[in-house]
Amino acid sequence: MTSTGYTPAAPDLRRRGIRLGDVLFRGVSLAAALAAAALLGLITWKVIDLAWPAMDAFGLSFVWTEAWDPVKDLYGGLAFIYGTVMTSLIALVLATPLSIAIALFLTEIAPRRLAAPIATMVELLAAIPSVVLGLWGILVFGPWVRDHLEPWLQGAFGFLPIFSGQPSQVGLLPAALVLTIMIIPITSAICRELFVRVPKDLVDGSMALGSTRWEAIRKVLLPYAAPGIAAAILLGLGRAFGEAIAVTQVIGNGNVIPSSWFEPADTLGSRIAAQYQGATSVLQAGSILYLAAILMVISLVTNVVAQLVVARFEKVRRAY
Amino acid sequence: MKRRLALGLALVLLVVAALVAGRAGAATQRQAGSLVGTGATFPFPLISKWIPEMAKAYGIDITYSPTGSGAGIAAITARTVDFGASDAPLSPDQLAACKGCVVIPWGLAGVSLPYNIPGLDGRLKLNAATITGIFDGSITKWNHPAIRRLNRGLDLPDLTITAVHRSDGSGTTYAFTDYLSAVSPTWKSKVGRNTAVSWPGGVGARGSSGVTGVVKSTAGAITYVDVAYAITNKLSFALVQNRRGGFAAPGLRGITSALSTLPKKVTRLSQLKIVDPPKAAPKNAYPISTFTYVIAPTSSSKAADLRKFVHWAVSQGQTFGPPLFFVPLPTTVKGFAYREIKKIKG
Repeated sequence: MTSTGYTPAAPDLRRRGIRLGDVLFRGVSLAAALAAAALLGLITWKVIDLAWPAMDAFGLSFVWTEAWDPVKDLYGGLAFIYGTVMTSLIALVLATPLSIAIALFLTEIAPRRLAAPIATMVELLAAIPSVVLGLWGILVFGPWVRDHLEPWLQGAFGFLPIFSGQPSQVGLLPAALVLTIMIIPITSAICRELFVRVPKDLVDGSMALGSTRWEAIRKVLLPYAAPGIAAAILLGLGRAFGEAIAVTQVIGNGNVIPSSWFEPADTLGSRIAAQYQGATSVLQAGSILYLAAILMVISLVTNVVAQLVVARFEKVRRAY
Repeated sequence: MKRRLALGLALVLLVVAALVAGRAGAATQRQAGSLVGTGATFPFPLISKWIPEMAKAYGIDITYSPTGSGAGIAAITARTVDFGASDAPLSPDQLAACKGCVVIPWGLAGVSLPYNIPGLDGRLKLNAATITGIFDGSITKWNHPAIRRLNRGLDLPDLTITAVHRSDGSGTTYAFTDYLSAVSPTWKSKVGRNTAVSWPGGVGARGSSGVTGVVKSTAGAITYVDVAYAITNKLSFALVQNRRGGFAAPGLRGITSALSTLPKKVTRLSQLKIVDPPKAAPKNAYPISTFTYVIAPTSSSKAADLRKFVHWAVSQGQTFGPPLFFVPLPTTVKGFAYREIKKIKG
């Protein structure tokens, strides 16, 4: 920049001000981004550092050992891995069709006057603190499941071992159902967003060609939104894997893999939430952190799979 | 652009302010006349009563966070606090790891067994064998002959028993499994005692509120919680048979009676056994009680304040106990505590 005597002072200052702001902004945002990455690194390092006594003592066999005995200082994670995967899968299987149905109703079927309040209410479901949902699980929902749902399941499908035994208000099934309630708002909100963004021309066009509303939804809307739906499901799965407080209140905290869905089980997150503070030995605290490390790996894998699935769907859609 | 600049500056200011506040907070922690402690949740109501009194009497500011016994032991071992608190006495390994710590009893309370049997016309009575049977899963119905024998005249229903235990590590669990280990050799070898154990049956719930929540909404459920909790929540709890044969209630008198057989001069912590008192104890001696302990380093820069605080807690502090269903420590235990307090040095 050439400086001539004619350049007034004020604009020059202004421009410097802008530059300072730019530099500052860039610095702050860079620092924030780096801090987030560094935080992840530090947390991972600390988790492994604290889990080391258990990793050293049990090695990888911790992952397929079914034990949790703080008296004899013997620990293994298999029962909790099973509990996490099982409750989350049940929740997913139940929540996916429900979420899609809610989203379709809100975007395609419901009159606008009805859609807006219902959408808000479904989203408010996500705002309930999980500890409150867990409390509701103990006091209201669990007893209902025990007195009505589980006896009915036993009557209808009692020949399956998963529905055998004494109905109970705490156990694998109540926990899975509470998780279902927790992930529905997330997946249905994303699905709704996806359906709104499907170009109206496509649906209109298909209906103009003579398809019914259902055919238009099934053959045009859903395939178009498929990658997003898959991502929404996996996002819900991530939520279900990680949920600790609500689950710990209703799952019954069993130490072994239950044969029936009515029996107590436990998940990784729930075990961490329940026992970390009360851990009395270094090995117990280490084992709990070992569970945390396993949970982090599971979440990472889910995330990677989610991205692969989305990418694959995207390719298929492009090919049309 | 100006707004962006302002936003950036505001952010920087916020970070600086937080750092300064953090420094200031750390500085007050090191100030004389203040003690920081963490640990068991069980004595927290009692400690909360003590804190304002200590400030009034000695000008000592005490901060206590109820994080759980295990966390308290870990914190004092790492010396990140001035004192720790635990419901379970330190194991020999833990004591060694703590490198110069004294463990002093400063609270005493009973553990009750609340139950939910709809329509029961009277108070349930249990003994060591039936309690063990219920929690190890060998007794599954309320009309089991062993329970019926103890409760003649009560119409016990053909109802499945749900034994509810704490899923989180807890001093109450330590006290209860300590009792079960004392009365049943099988329990001792198969399960043992700790703040969390590998339960042979039943269902788990989190915290005192969690277990009572499950008991209240499940017909046929039974659990264990500290007496204060059972009474404030209006739960009906069982009478427990002691070695003398009497059926005792977990009131203040029942717990004090259980202590009457302690040696006159207690010199070691291991002598402070109060679960399952011997036959010589009175008929109303309640067999499931627990001490709760403060853990202090023998060498501390705040030794004088720590001694004052613990001494006050063990003496005058005990008078705050009864309204909260903590039993005042008997003189033998106080004597032991005073001798241990002297070991805290600067």
